[in-house]
Parts: sequence; C-alpha cells; structure tokens
Amino acid sequence: MWHTLGVDLGSTTAKAVVVAPDGRPVSSSIVQMGAVSKKGVERAIAAALEDGGLTRGDIVRTVSTGYGRRLVELADRSFTEISCHARGAVAMMPGVRLVIDIGGQDSKAIAIGQDGLLDRFAINDRCASGTGRFFDVLSRALEVEVTDISDLAAATSHEAEVSGMCATFAETEVISLLAQDVAPADISAAVMRSVASRTVGLVAQVRKNTPVVMTGGVAQNASFVAELSRQLDLSIGHLDEPQIAGALGAALIARDDYLSTVPDDERMQTEWDRQRSGSPIESCQDCDGAAGDDRGPVPVTLMPTVTRV
Amino acid sequence: MPETIELSPTVVKPRGKDQKPDKSNRLTSTRAGGKMVSDYWENIFTAKERGKQVVWYNGSALNPIFQAAGLEWCHGEAFSARLAAMHMEGPAQQAGEEYGYVNELCSYARTHLGCAVLTQQGASEKQSGIVGFADQQELATKLPSPDFFVNAYAGCSTGQQWDAMTYRVFGKELPMFNVSLPMIWGNKPDSGYLRGKEWEKTPLFVVEQLKELIKFIEYQTKKPFDWDALSENMSYIKRASELRLEAMALCAAAPTPATYWDWVASIAPINFMPANQALVDYFQGVKDEIEQRLRDGVSAVANERYRVYFDGIMNWNKLGFLTRKFAEYDVSVVAGRYTHDSFWQEPQLIDPENPLLGMAQHYLICPINHGLKIMEELLLKRCDDFGIDGIAFHSTRTCRAMTNPQQILARIAEEKRGIKSFSFEGDVADAAFYKDETLESGLVAMLETIDQQRARM
Repeated sequence: MWHTLGVDLGSTTAKAVVVAPDGRPVSSSIVQMGAVSKKGVERAIAAALEDGGLTRGDIVRTVSTGYGRRLVELADRSFTEISCHARGAVAMMPGVRLVIDIGGQDSKAIAIGQDGLLDRFAINDRCASGTGRFFDVLSRALEVEVTDISDLAAATSHEAEVSGMCATFAETEVISLLAQDVAPADISAAVMRSVASRTVGLVAQVRKNTPVVMTGGVAQNASFVAELSRQLDLSIGHLDEPQIAGALGAALIARDDYLSTVPDDERMQTEWDRQRSGSPIESCQDCDGAAGDDRGPVPVTLMPTVTRV
Repeated sequence: MPETIELSPTVVKPRGKDQKPDKSNRLTSTRAGGKMVSDYWENIFTAKERGKQVVWYNGSALNPIFQAAGLEWCHGEAFSARLAAMHMEGPAQQAGEEYGYVNELCSYARTHLGCAVLTQQGASEKQSGIVGFADQQELATKLPSPDFFVNAYAGCSTGQQWDAMTYRVFGKELPMFNVSLPMIWGNKPDSGYLRGKEWEKTPLFVVEQLKELIKFIEYQTKKPFDWDALSENMSYIKRASELRLEAMALCAAAPTPATYWDWVASIAPINFMPANQALVDYFQGVKDEIEQRLRDGVSAVANERYRVYFDGIMNWNKLGFLTRKFAEYDVSVVAGRYTHDSFWQEPQLIDPENPLLGMAQHYLICPINHGLKIMEELLLKRCDDFGIDGIAFHSTRTCRAMTNPQQILARIAEEKRGIKSFSFEGDVADAAFYKDETLESGLVAMLETIDQQRARM
C-alpha cells in the first residue's frame, strides 16, 4: 500500500510524518539535532518509517517544509510552513479558523477559511522578535532546560518586565534582572508576556477568529499558552502533538499531490475508504445540525455504481 | 481587468552553475537612462570648476526651477540612492554615523549627511583614512559644496530635520529656504484624489511659497528669474510624463511587457534629470520598446503566473537581485506606489504657460503625503487597472512615513478585493536591514495562498 511522507526541517528540530492513502497518520518522529540539521532529517525519516513498519519504497510522494525545506533532498516538492501548518492544523482540529505557530526563527498567524483552506497569514518581518528563540535565550540565561520554563513561570509571584524586541537585547535584560536579584520565575513570566504581546500583534494582522489552535513546540509551554490566551481573550485549543502539525500538513499535501496523478476510479476509492474509515468530515465539526448553519453542503464522494455481470 | 494577449515565451537566460536561471527580461531602452544619470552626476562634480552655483535640495522635484535659474542641482536622496545602487554607500554611511547620525535614521539622510561630512572635510582629510574604504569614499566626497539649500519635503518628518542637520555640518553659514508642504488629509466628505475643497485650496498656499522661493533664488543668483525657461522646462516634463504614463498603461496587458523594476530604473530621468528633448526621447524610447514587445509577443517575465504590486520605496541595493528573485517564482511585479503614484504622475495638471500651480499640485501628491482615504482609492485603482493578484509590502526600516499605513492597506486590499499580501523588511539604502529568508518565506507563502484562492474558484 502506498504512503506519503511529510518532513518539517525547522531551525531546531526535524519532524517526519507518514500518512496512509486515507490521510490517516501512520507514524511520526521528532528529532532534535541542532540548527537545520540534515542528519536530523535523516534520523527523523528513518524513525518514522521504522515506527510505521515501512521502507522508503512504500513512499510515493514526499513534501518538505520548514526553515530548511530546501535541504531535504528526498522531497519531491516543498511548501512553506504557512501552508503546511494550516493543512496539518485543520486535519488535527477540523473547523479551526486561526492557527498560531511560534517557531524557532519566526512566528506566524494563519487565518483559515470556512472551507478549511489557507486564507491569510502574517509572519514576523524582522530578526527573532517574539519567536521561540526568546525561550532558548531565557533557558540559557537562567541555566534551566527549555522544557522547564513553563513550570518556572507558573510559580511567579512578582511582576518583572522584559521589553526588548530583539532576542539578543532580551538576553541582556534577563541578565540585568538576575543581577537585580529578580526571581527566575518572575523573569520567565515576563518573557512569556513579552513574546505573547508580539504574537497578539501578528494575530491582529489576520484578525482574531475562533476556534484557535497553536502548533509548534511552544504550544507545549502551558504557561505561555495561558498567557497568550489571556492577552488574546480567546480560548486556545489543545493539540496532542502540536510539533508535528507542519510535517502532517506536508504529508497530506503530498497525498493530495499523488492523488492528483492517479486515475479517477482509484482516487474515488481512496476517498470512499477515508469516509468509511470514520475520519471526521471536516465541514461537520462543531455543527449542531440546526437549520441555518451556513457552512454549505457536506462534501461526500460517491462511488460509481458498478454493474455486475 | 487587464487585456489578455498571446505572447510567446520569453527566453530564459542561463546563469552560473549554482545559480537559478534568470527568468526576468528587463527593457534595454532604460540603459540610456543609466548613461544620462551618470553623465549628469559627472557634470555636477565639476560644477565649481565651471563657476556654477550649486543648490542642495531634498524632497520634491524643484529641479525645473533650478534649471531655469541656471543653477546646478544636487538631490540628496538621488545621490544616496545612486551610491546604494552602486554598492558604494558604506563610507558615507559610516562617516554619517561617526558624525553622530545613528543607523535608525533614514538611510537616505544618513548617507547624504555622510556625503556632506566628507565633502566638508575636503581633500586633505580624504587621505587620512577616517572611515577606510578609500576607493568608495572617493565617489561619496565628489559632491560639490552647496551655495545654498532648499527644502521642500512632503509627508516626511525627517526631511526638514535632515536639511537642518546638513546646514549645521556646513557651519550654519549657508542660506536655506524651506517650502512647507501640508499633508493632504482627504478626510472631508467631499475629499478625494485631486478633488474637494482641500485639494483646491492647499496648492494655492504652495504656489505663494514657490513665488517666494523664486525671489530667494533671484537674490542668491543676482539674476532675474527666467520664466520662459521654466515654461519650456515644464513643457518637456509634461511630454515626458505623458509618454511614461502611456507606456505604463501598456503594462496592463497580461503577461506584462515591462515591470516595476523597469519603472524603478526610469525614476532618475523623470525625477531630476534636466528637462530637455533628451528626456522626452528617453521616454519615447521606453514606450517604443514596450509597444514593440507587444507586437513581437515578448514578455518581461518568462511564464508569468502572478501579478504583484510593490508597496514601499525601492531597496536600491537590491534592484537586480529582486528583479531576478520575483521572476524566479513566475511573478511579474507590474506596478507600485513608489513608481506609479510619484514623479509628475498627473501631467494634465501641468500648464507650461502657467506652470506654478501644476508644480505645486505635484509636490503635494507625493505618495506619503496623503491620508488613508486617498491611499485606499489609489491602491484599489492600481490593483484594478493592472489585474493585481498580490501585494509585496516592503517594510522600509528607516522610512516609517512609507511603512506606517501598510498594514491597513493590506487589510483594505484583502477586504475589498480579496488580494493577498505579505510584508518583508528591507531599506532604501542600507542593505543590512534586508533578510533574504524573510522575503522568500513571505513571497512563497503568498503565492501558495493565491494558489489556494484560485483553487476555490
């Protein structure tokens, strides 16, 4: 059976996701190997294939995304994180209308149309202002693991302020606060507020909408998600594996790409299998069935009638 | 919507082994403009030797007045842009910074102030290696010292301070005349582009100042002003402008026979070259080449798939690079706020027999001197006229006057026309603010968004 592969080579991690013909994720992997690491990509791909009990021969299409997408030699095509995170987030949470992705190098706010397709986006247009890089800077200065920052920030008791737009200057501010004996918990919370305020600015460019979800590694930082939710005055939906959203989106785009090349009857069979498998129909998500819902007709693919002889 | 015509594919030029093929096809007629500009500056450099008086000015195109008065004129931004386009801006910018003008200041101003510092220091200190780069520095120091300054800046908060700083660099000893150009707010019910009471009244205020400017120039030159020469200059400019606009209008064809980058290359001729038959001939040549391309089926970008509008001042260090970059993705940058909403863009306003009013009106319709209502009107008109699919907003780091309304303009284009956009940071004359990855990510993401938009249809 054929499968497609999505690879997200970000600035700090490499992610790979394999999907089956019905679009269902079969396996995934996340490898942290340093900045845009080719070795990291290879390991992520190998791990995802092994986890799914597959070989490279089972992969009919590969799409890459992420900061280092052009370095993925295996890829047939590449797409930006914008398209892939949008596609992945919609697959993970059908009906989502706003996706926020805070990556290591840039941050994005992505508006999704009513039809589940990418509609608008905003990216931070300069340096590492308001990106995940801020958290790396913070963890280094505080000498804690980046994964521990969320719990640290949750323990804040006094308000501190980090105002720098530049990650480098932010580090200077953090060191200055430490020199003033400000508690690491308060500094962590201040960094959360600073990054969240930059993100609110991005969201404003595409306009607030709901449901909203965060993708990328920073989505696992509960303190940050809470702070961003507070500043946006919106509830932010939770994804089980927010880090693989981009790679999943890439794999699904690869699937679409492959399906566009196969004969109509095979493509219809695949859609039929997908619908029979119990995969949710995206347009039905959150619909209460009441009359007046304006999401339009449910897209249903019908198998052609077969005349038996 | 633009007329669609059948054009044969443009030849894709092969490049080096590790470089992507160049899919852009710039006009060849604009090369004549390069020579005109080069000759113009070479002439300026020898002004003092020829016993000519020199005026330094910034902002509006007052050059027809200076030309009529027999002066040699040096436009500050133009020289900064030239240095940047030649990648020779470094020494001037460093000299400006050493003098105290930080790198957040408008890079046109910083570069020009650096030139002023270097010019003031003179030849003796040129040898001292104050900022290194001796060869590049040589060009930056070539400007002749001014005899006086004229400032006429619309919509730019830095403009008047810039000349005030230059005035200090030259020891506060040189005369200066300031033309005040009010913003066209356009917020009255009857207001709009070139209409309404505000539009009728404001240019009259500017006309009175231009009359005072001419008296000031007569005092400085000790000669009566030649009004006939001004009329003649403006008749050449009017004709050149008409040809430029007619040629631009031909680019509504899809695929376009010429791009925004060709119009950028034509800014210097229309903005500060001497008004004469050569200027008219230049734009006739550009128009002729575009018409020939339409007849021959030659497009400006091989395989045009997207038509983009460029909002922002040109990133002068990157003209060739950006031309190739956008073309690489099958993007024709067809029009832009900087090229299409500037530079004698309403020739019907010019009456050569009575030129001051039309000149005053043009000084006021600088693209950073309008309120949002007028900016919206202009943006939507350009998008409609040229069949625009997307907008590239050049977030010009040191020109907030140009950048301030961009997010709102992006929203207007999206809401009123469904036009997608992205923004990237760069600068007019400081390459340090440009990040290729930011441009590439935003551009490709916008094109993917347009693809999805088309898939919906």
